[in-house]
Amino acid sequence: MKREYQDAGRSGGDMGSSKDKMMVAAAGAGEQEEEEMDEMLAALGYKVRSSDMADVAQKLEQLEMAMGMGGVGGAGATADDGFISHLATDTVHYNPSDLSSWVESMLSELNAPPPPLPPATPPAPRLASTSSTVTSGAAVAAAGAGYFDLPPAVDSSSSTYALKPIPSPVVASADPSSTDSTREPKRMRTGGGSTSSSSSSSSSMDGGRTRSPVVEAAPPATQASAAANGPAVPVVVMDTQEAGIRLVHALLACAEAVQQENFSAADALVKQIPMLASSQGGAMRKVAAYFGEALARRVYRFRPTPDSSLLDAAVADFLHAHFYESCPYLKFAHFTANQAILEAFAGCRRVHVVDFGIKHGLQWPALLQALALRPGGPPSFRLTGVGPPQHDETDALQQVGWKLAQFAHTIRVDFQYRGLVAATLADLEPFMLQPEGDDKDEEPEVIAVNSVFELHRLLAQPGALEKVLGTVRAVRPRIVTVVEQEANHNSGTFLDRFTESLHYYSTMFDSLEGAGSGQSTDASPPAAGGTDQVMSEVYLGRQICNVVACEGAERTERHETLGQWRSRLGDSGFEPVHLGSNAYKQASTLLALFNGGDGYKVEEKDGCLTLGWHTRPLIATSAWRLAAP
Amino acid sequence: MAGSDEVNRNECKGAVPIHTWVLISNFKLAYNMLRRADGTFDRDLAEFLDRRVPPDARAPEGVSSFDHVIDTSTGLEVRIYRAAAANNAGAAAVTLPILDFLAGTPSPDPFPVILFFHGGSFAHSSSGTAIYDNLCRRFVKLSKGVVVSVNYRRAPEHRYPCAYEDGWTALKWAMSQPFLRSGGDARPRVFLSGDSSGGNIAHHVAVRAADAGISICGNILLNAMFGGTERTESERRLDGKYFVTLQDRDWYWKAYLPEDADRDHPACNPFGPNGRRLRGLPFTKSLIIVSGLDLTCDRQLAYAEGLQEDGHHVKLVYREKATIGFYLLSNTDHYHEVMEEIADFLRANL
Repeated sequence: MKREYQDAGRSGGDMGSSKDKMMVAAAGAGEQEEEEMDEMLAALGYKVRSSDMADVAQKLEQLEMAMGMGGVGGAGATADDGFISHLATDTVHYNPSDLSSWVESMLSELNAPPPPLPPATPPAPRLASTSSTVTSGAAVAAAGAGYFDLPPAVDSSSSTYALKPIPSPVVASADPSSTDSTREPKRMRTGGGSTSSSSSSSSSMDGGRTRSPVVEAAPPATQASAAANGPAVPVVVMDTQEAGIRLVHALLACAEAVQQENFSAADALVKQIPMLASSQGGAMRKVAAYFGEALARRVYRFRPTPDSSLLDAAVADFLHAHFYESCPYLKFAHFTANQAILEAFAGCRRVHVVDFGIKHGLQWPALLQALALRPGGPPSFRLTGVGPPQHDETDALQQVGWKLAQFAHTIRVDFQYRGLVAATLADLEPFMLQPEGDDKDEEPEVIAVNSVFELHRLLAQPGALEKVLGTVRAVRPRIVTVVEQEANHNSGTFLDRFTESLHYYSTMFDSLEGAGSGQSTDASPPAAGGTDQVMSEVYLGRQICNVVACEGAERTERHETLGQWRSRLGDSGFEPVHLGSNAYKQASTLLALFNGGDGYKVEEKDGCLTLGWHTRPLIATSAWRLAAP
Repeated sequence: MAGSDEVNRNECKGAVPIHTWVLISNFKLAYNMLRRADGTFDRDLAEFLDRRVPPDARAPEGVSSFDHVIDTSTGLEVRIYRAAAANNAGAAAVTLPILDFLAGTPSPDPFPVILFFHGGSFAHSSSGTAIYDNLCRRFVKLSKGVVVSVNYRRAPEHRYPCAYEDGWTALKWAMSQPFLRSGGDARPRVFLSGDSSGGNIAHHVAVRAADAGISICGNILLNAMFGGTERTESERRLDGKYFVTLQDRDWYWKAYLPEDADRDHPACNPFGPNGRRLRGLPFTKSLIIVSGLDLTCDRQLAYAEGLQEDGHHVKLVYREKATIGFYLLSNTDHYHEVMEEIADFLRANL
């Protein structure tokens, strides 16, 4: 069953309450900042409150003693190799910038009880998928099932595309709320006295999983001075040769002329760009072409701009799928988000994922696989896929659901699907995400909301983001996973936006050049590899055009940085859930498989993970939950 | 021996300010988890724990930085730092000065170009690691020049001579960039610098430069990493006392040197039995900074002596009470006085 929702013109109402929240959060931030972070260590990437310094030093000492280090004759003489190895291999580390919590979490490892055995509950009854809104006995065409083909070595032991069940044990209790309980900090086995773990930095323990309760209402500054000057402006210089520099100069000069509305100058400059671009090769030539074209559109006010129409949804999905194939960004996004969802679903028997932009559903087979393989068996799984209206005969939204249902059936995961058509996420209401029927005896479903490259679009409509976040809050999700482009293509002047996006997409295109020669480990004909790259460039080119040539409601590619999203989500009642070293390692392993080149780099930043090319992060995955009231 | 462990710890804590103790202990403990007994290295965890900062064209505190790949075949990247007016303005406004810098003609006023190799015992850190980004910014301020920090390939994935190759590539690149030239004679005024393994790399690149007739203005070495099969007196005396053990030193050499080599390999022991003396070679002048509480200080002093014996100019700065890493935090006299020495050396040899 398909539901369509007209835009009900939401406005106003939610803004007031979210503003109050903003003020409360700001007040909270003020309180927190009274306990100052030590500036010297902050400049070096470590956040330690000045008042905690002595305590941190003491904890480091205790940890050193526990590791058996520092004796004459080298660490080997008395080292507790088992413990050290445990810390390196089995322990999940979170947010190493928070030194106090990090050291504390390792000290807690000393006294962690042996992991509890997984519950001996019988596997959930394997209901046929007939209860799904998707199948009603209709024959499902198997055509085009290619996107659900997992990479060849898909058995649980060897595939690194498939998520591994997380090493730490499933929480014994079936009560979802118990996973949030904080245990008492343990007494130290060695050394005198008890650990003086300050309440603000104690960690909740789940047999090896720890979480630093970092709630940040303002973007943290890694350098004290950075706070004064605003976020860093990364500039990756592609070419120090004169021709390359002249090209960039011309692009910037043209953009500046546009900003100053000096259209005769802009006209003269935009005509120079193709010739200057032709002096370049590879990525720079292509980037210059796209930016030049976008500038021309703006200068000559071509209408319509390529991706503003909803008719383009199918084309957009198609390009998205090629982008998925040709480079690891989307795979990384799906992988890291799925990892966070998997951990959040630990011990839950009924789960519900809301995908804010289901497209071809590429993210979900891997999660279903991982759930199927987890100790204790899979939960029953419900998926709500949100997609834009289609203006043709095909029912793409339902087809995705059918294919996923088929797949779920083969791996014996109880699966239900609901497709929701929405022109904008702001049309969603909480009741649309509730389960059908009225089965009060069933365990309440645990919800994950997943958004890959969707939230930034909402910034084009005032109030839309707040509305959507309000809807998300209302369904009380266990976790919210957000993947966004790591760039500021939204604020500042047009010229700033142009410059930032020029740097960003130069790096993106550069990474595609590096990846162009080899694709994923799937066996694909060489032509497909080339096609994927070209299609990816078109996919990115549409974004460039939108960033540069559009304004107002049409300009939907309003990318913002992690720091900015942190503020927005913090102000709307969410707090970070940190992604740990296990997710980091697995993402790195995934990348190593990718033939595309050594330039890809996963980084950890304040509990989030970014994927970038060389030192420039390009996309960021973060996870969130409702902040404690 | 728990008793002497405790004595060591207290002595160490007493020898350094608390911030230094916290910072270096944190590294020591983290690194301990990363080195495996079988010689492999937990690179993923290392990268996860490494605290990095992005380059910033916005010139916080008056130093602007950007990253650049100088060799696409190896992906060798450098981070370039230069003084610029601090800039609150938008992306375009901070980008244009960089373009101007890159497209500019040689500056008539001479400025030093410091080619910097970060430390980490060949295995740890990167040009983006916060402690080194911070140090490079400091170098820009005291030198009024340009710093080029080289993100060389690390052990154990890339053994000898990869780090030296990357250093050589970076030197040739720097020598060929018009925007790094200055002075009436429009030439690049390059200094090689590094701490720990970076100091070792600086030495070997300088030797290669001398062999090739490339003129280097000077070498600036901070606790340069050298070793040998025999144990020196300081190695025996200070083993395990001030953050560093012989066991970890041995691990890093094993990870960097060729698999069948021992610590008398010339990379590790340049003037040792398998080494090569430098008499008659146009080797550059050196500023050699040594911490008295670094267990390899004897080796560094012997290195300095070796250069002097071969007729090369050495300014030795021996900080008796300093530990490793003192130059990472500005909270001691060691730091400030050594920065002065570096500034003097740069001025004198520009």
